[in-house]
Amino acid sequence: MSSPRTQKTARTLRTKLLLPGGLLGIAALGTLALVFPGVAQASTTKTQSLSASVKACGSVNLRGVSGVHNTGNPFASTTLTCFDGMVIRYGSSAIIYTNPPRAFVSAGKLLFDQTCSSCHGSDANGVSPSGAASIGPNLQGVGAATVDFWITTGRMPAADVRAVEAERKTPRLTDKQALEVAAYIESLDPAAPAVPTPNLRGADVSDGADLFSLNCAACHTITGAGDALAFGTNAPTLQNKQITPQQVAEAIRTGPANMPRFSGNLTDAQVRDVVAYVTEKIQHPSNPGGAGLGGVGPVAEGFIALLLGVGGLALICFWIGERT
Amino acid sequence: MSPALPTAKTKKQALGPYGRVSGVVNELDDRLGLAKGGRVFLDKIFPDHWSFMLGEIALYSFVVLIATGIFLALYFVPSANEIIYHGSYAPLRGQRVSEAFNSTVNISFGVRGGLLVRQMHHWAADIFVASIVVHMARIFFTGAFRKPRELNWVIGTLMLILAILEGFIGYSLPDDLISGTGLRIGYSIVESIPFVGSYLGTFLWGGQFPGTGVIIPRFYIIHVLIIPLVLFGLLGAHLGLLVRQKHTQFKGPGRTETNVVGSPMFPTFMAKTTGFLFMVVGATALLGAFAQINPIWQFGSYEASKISYAVQPDWYMGWLDGALRIMPAWEFAGWGHTVPLEVFLPAVIFPGLIFNIAFVWPALERRMTGDNELHNLLDRPRDRPKRTAAGAAMLALLFVLFAASSTDVLANYFRLSLNFVLWSFRILTFVVPVVVAFVTYGICKEMQGVQGIGKRKRAVIVHRSVTGEYTTTPTPPRPGDGPEEMEPEPVPERIDISPLAAPVLTASRESSPTGARQVSR
Amino acid sequence: MSEDNHEPSRTKVPMPIATLSDPHMGDAARNPQRAEGIIAVILVVAIVFIAGFGAAYWQNWNPWIIGGTLGLGLFLLGFGLTAWGKYLMPQGPFVEERHVLASSPEERDSMAAALVERSTVVVKRRKLLGGLFAIGAGIFGIVALFPLLRSLGPVPGTSLDTSDWRKGRVLVDSSGRSVTRDTLVVGGIMTVYPAGLQNTDQGQAVDQTVLIRVQDSNLVTAKGRETWAPDGYVAYSKVCTHLGCPVGLYEQQLELLVCPCHQSMFNVRNGAIPQFGPAPRPLPQLPLYFDTDGILKAQAGFDQAVGPGFFERTTTQENGT
Repeated sequence: MSSPRTQKTARTLRTKLLLPGGLLGIAALGTLALVFPGVAQASTTKTQSLSASVKACGSVNLRGVSGVHNTGNPFASTTLTCFDGMVIRYGSSAIIYTNPPRAFVSAGKLLFDQTCSSCHGSDANGVSPSGAASIGPNLQGVGAATVDFWITTGRMPAADVRAVEAERKTPRLTDKQALEVAAYIESLDPAAPAVPTPNLRGADVSDGADLFSLNCAACHTITGAGDALAFGTNAPTLQNKQITPQQVAEAIRTGPANMPRFSGNLTDAQVRDVVAYVTEKIQHPSNPGGAGLGGVGPVAEGFIALLLGVGGLALICFWIGERT
Repeated sequence: MSPALPTAKTKKQALGPYGRVSGVVNELDDRLGLAKGGRVFLDKIFPDHWSFMLGEIALYSFVVLIATGIFLALYFVPSANEIIYHGSYAPLRGQRVSEAFNSTVNISFGVRGGLLVRQMHHWAADIFVASIVVHMARIFFTGAFRKPRELNWVIGTLMLILAILEGFIGYSLPDDLISGTGLRIGYSIVESIPFVGSYLGTFLWGGQFPGTGVIIPRFYIIHVLIIPLVLFGLLGAHLGLLVRQKHTQFKGPGRTETNVVGSPMFPTFMAKTTGFLFMVVGATALLGAFAQINPIWQFGSYEASKISYAVQPDWYMGWLDGALRIMPAWEFAGWGHTVPLEVFLPAVIFPGLIFNIAFVWPALERRMTGDNELHNLLDRPRDRPKRTAAGAAMLALLFVLFAASSTDVLANYFRLSLNFVLWSFRILTFVVPVVVAFVTYGICKEMQGVQGIGKRKRAVIVHRSVTGEYTTTPTPPRPGDGPEEMEPEPVPERIDISPLAAPVLTASRESSPTGARQVSR
Repeated sequence: MSEDNHEPSRTKVPMPIATLSDPHMGDAARNPQRAEGIIAVILVVAIVFIAGFGAAYWQNWNPWIIGGTLGLGLFLLGFGLTAWGKYLMPQGPFVEERHVLASSPEERDSMAAALVERSTVVVKRRKLLGGLFAIGAGIFGIVALFPLLRSLGPVPGTSLDTSDWRKGRVLVDSSGRSVTRDTLVVGGIMTVYPAGLQNTDQGQAVDQTVLIRVQDSNLVTAKGRETWAPDGYVAYSKVCTHLGCPVGLYEQQLELLVCPCHQSMFNVRNGAIPQFGPAPRPLPQLPLYFDTDGILKAQAGFDQAVGPGFFERTTTQENGT
C-alpha cells in the first residue's frame, strides 16, 4: 500500500520535473545553439599546431615574426629577422616577397621524395614512373608561395586523394620543412610569387573591408564563414584563428584550387589591407549584440527564433493553460 | 430644508459598501454608461486550454514591435543619400554609405540601449510571424475557422500576409549588403509580372534598379505608418469578432455549443495574460541581449556590384527563396516578348495560390463536407483525419521549401555536393507532402481507435487489504488538470468577503475540497 | 449532432453570493501558503533585476547586461503574476451562456426588406441618376489609380534594354584603373565598369561586368564571337539573368561562374551558358579589344539586354554600338 508520501513524491516528481525540465531543455538547446557555432569552429582548430604570432626569434620564420624580444606582436616592428640572421626591412613596402634560402633545396628534395613524389612524380612534373599522368598535378613553375601555402595549411600531403578538394588539417610538415620543399620546387622552375610577408602596420582596415566585400564575399560570405560551391567544391571558412596573415596573402596571390588568382588587379597595399581585415575583423568579429551564431545570418537566426522563441513561449503557454 | 454640507463621514456613507471605487464607477457611468457592459465584460469567460494562448504570443510580439519600433523611428534616417561614415566602427570609416545605413549603425553603436532595442525589434518580428503561423495552424487543425468565424480566418490570413511583408520591408530599411540584395531580387520579381511588371518596377523604385533612391523613404512610410495602421484596424476587427462571437472551446464536461467554460476575465484571465505579456517582452529582451541578429556593420552598406554568399532572407521568406532555387530554368520567349516563368511561377503565382487556398478554405470545407452548421465546439485534430492530413501536407510542403532556401549552408554543413542537395530538394518537394499526408491520416485513424489516447492517465492507488483483496482509488487531481470534476458554475453575483474585510484574531481552519487551507487575515 | 442554436440551453442561475470556501473560488495550488512564498521570492528577484536594469542603463554597462537584466526582470515579473493568476486566483470552472448571434427571422426579413424596398423606390423612379452615378464612380475607381501609380516613377521605355557600354569605352575597376594585358593572370577575375561610371549607381547596378582571364591566347566562346575575348580576357555582364544578383563567385579550375543567390552556374568558356540552376539565359557577353596602347576597351555594347527577364524583352535586341 503506497503511502501518501510516496504518492506525493511521485506527483511532485511528475509535475515538478515535467515543465521545468521542458523549459530547461529548451534553454539548454538554445544555449547549445548559441554556443555551438563557436564551439564547432574552436574544435577544428584545437589540434592545429601553427600559431600566427608567437614564434621565438631564431626559429623558422619569414612569417612576420617580430625580431624584437618576442613581444608576441608580429606587427609591432618595421623589421623582421629572417632565418640565419637575414634581416628584411619593410620600408614602405606593404608586402615583402622572399624565396627560401638556396641552402634549403637539398633538404627539400629529400622531403619531397619521401612525402610528395608518390603523387606528383619524382621530378614534381606530374608524370608517374610508368609514364602516365600522376594523381597530383605538375608542380614545376607553381612558385614557392604556392607550395608553402598548401603545406603549412595541412592540405598537402592529401589525406584522401579522391576528395574533390583537399581540406585544411593539421600540417604533417613543420614550417621549416614547408620552406625546404618550397625551395626545392622553386629551384626546379623559378616562378613568382615568392613567399609573401605582409606588413600589417599601416594597413587600412576600411579599405580591406571594401575590397573584401567586392572580391571575397561572393565565395567566402561577407562574414568569412565559408560555404559550399558547385559540384562538391567549397570556399573554406576564414574565421579559423589558425589562419596566418601569410597564408591569407599566399592564397590571394596564388589562387589555390578553385580560388581565383589575384595578381595585377590588386596592388600589394590592397592585398595587405585585405589580409589585415581578415585577421582582425573576420577572425575576431565585432559581436557586441551577443552570440554570433556562426555568422551565417538568417538561417541560424530563424532556427533560434522558431525553436527558442516560439518554442519556449509555447511551452510557457502549456504551463499556463489546461492540457485537456 | 437645505441639505447639510457633506462631511467626510457622510460622503463615505453615501458611497456605499464599495467605497471610492463606487465613486469612480458612478462618475464614469454618468458619462459613458459603461457599468452594465463593464460588469458583463468583467464576467467574460475565457476557456483555459493552452493552445488558445498562441495568438497572444503574436499579439504581445506586436506590442513589442510597436514599442521598440517607436524607439527606432526616432533615430532612423530614411534616406538613400550617400555620406561618408565617420562613426566608431573602424572597418567602415571613410566608406560611402547611405544615410539609412549610417543611422542604423549609429543606433547600434552610438545610442545607449540602441543595439538592444534594434535586436529586440528584429527578434520580435521573427517571433511575430512564427506565432501567427502556429496560431493559424491551431485554428486550422481544430476547425475554429468554421461558421461563424470564417471572416476572422480571412482577417487573420490577411494579417499574416501583412506581417510577412512588413518584416521584409523592415529589414530592408537599413540598406545593408544582404537586405539590399533582397531588394534587387524583389525588383526582378516585380519586373517578371507579364504586361505590367516592368512598369510597376520603375514606378515603385523611381526608375530602373536601383532607381533614384526613393525606395528607402517609401518603404519607411509603408513600414511605420501604412501597414501598422492596417494591422491595427485588422487586429481590432479580429479581437472585436472574438469578443462578439466568444471564444471556441474543446468538448468536455459541462461544455456545450451554447456556453463557454473557463476562468473569468477579472481577475484571473487578466492576471495570466498580463503576466504573459511581461514574459513575452522579457523573453524578447533576453534574445535581444544574448543572441546577435542582423549585424549590419559586418555586412557593409549596399552596393549593387557587391554580393555575399549564404544570403538567405529572414525565415518567413525562406519558402519563397527555396521555391526560386529549385525551380527549373523555364523561360518563355517568343512573339517579341518574354515571360520569365522561372521567376513568375515560384515568386508570384505560387504564393498567390497558397494564400488563396488559405482564404477560401472555410468555404471549400463547407462545400466538401456539406456542413453549414454553427460550430462553437472544436474538433480534436484526430477527429478530422482528412483535414488534418491536408494541413500537415501543406505545412510539410512549406517546410521543405523553407529548408530548400539553405541549400548551400546545408551542403556546406553536411559536406555534400551543392548540386546533389538541390536535386534532392526538387524531389523532396513533391514526395514529402504526400508521405506526410498519408502518415498523418494513418496516425489520426489509429488514434481514433484508442480510447482516451493522448490524455494524461489519472494514476490510481492500489490498496491491498489484509485478506489479499485489491482495491483502487483514484489520485486527487493536480493543478493544471483543471478542476474538471467540478460542475461549471456561472460567475457569482457577489462574493462574501467578510472574512477578509475584518481582522480576525484566530485563523479559520475551514478547508476547501481542494485541500487548500483558508487563512483569514 | 448540433443543438438548436436558437434556443438557449437550460440557463443556470448564478449563485447570488459565493463564499470563499466555495470550491470554485478556491486556489488551484495544493499548498497556497507555499505557492505564495515561492511567487514572492520570484517577484523579489524580479525587482532586483529590474532595478539592476536601471543601474545598468544609467551606468552604461555592456548591452548584454542591460538587456539581460531587463529581460530576466520582466520575465520573472510576468512569471510571478501569471503564477499568481494560475495558482492563487479563482479558476472556476465558470460558465457563461452564449447569446444567440443570429437575429430572429422577422428581424432578418425586415432588414432585407428595408434594403430592397427603399432602393427600388429610389432607383426605379430615378434610373438615369442611378446609372450616371454608377458610371461616375466606376470611372473614378479607374482614374484614381493613375496618380497612385504613374506619379511614382518613370515608364521603363528603353532603359531596360540598354547599358552604358559603347564602342571604345575603357574598362576600369572600382578605383578607376584601366586594364592592360598583365592585369590578370590565367584564373584571375575582377569587376569592371565603364570608365567614369564606376562610382555611380547606374554604373554599378546595370553596367557591372566580370572580367575573367581564361587562357593566355584568344578565346572563342561562340560562333561570331571570334574577336571578343583577346588574350583570353572574356567579359560577361555581372547581372544574373535569373534575378539580378551580381555573379561574383568564380571557380577558376571548373571555369564556372556561380551566382551566390540561387546557385545558377554559368560556363565561362562557352559563352556563360547556364549549366545548372534556375537562370534561363546566358550572361550577355561584352566584346573586347586591346587598343594600340594596350588598354582594354569594349568593341560595342552587350550582345543583348542585361539582367532578368521582363515582358517587353526580346532576344534579338542589340544594345549600344
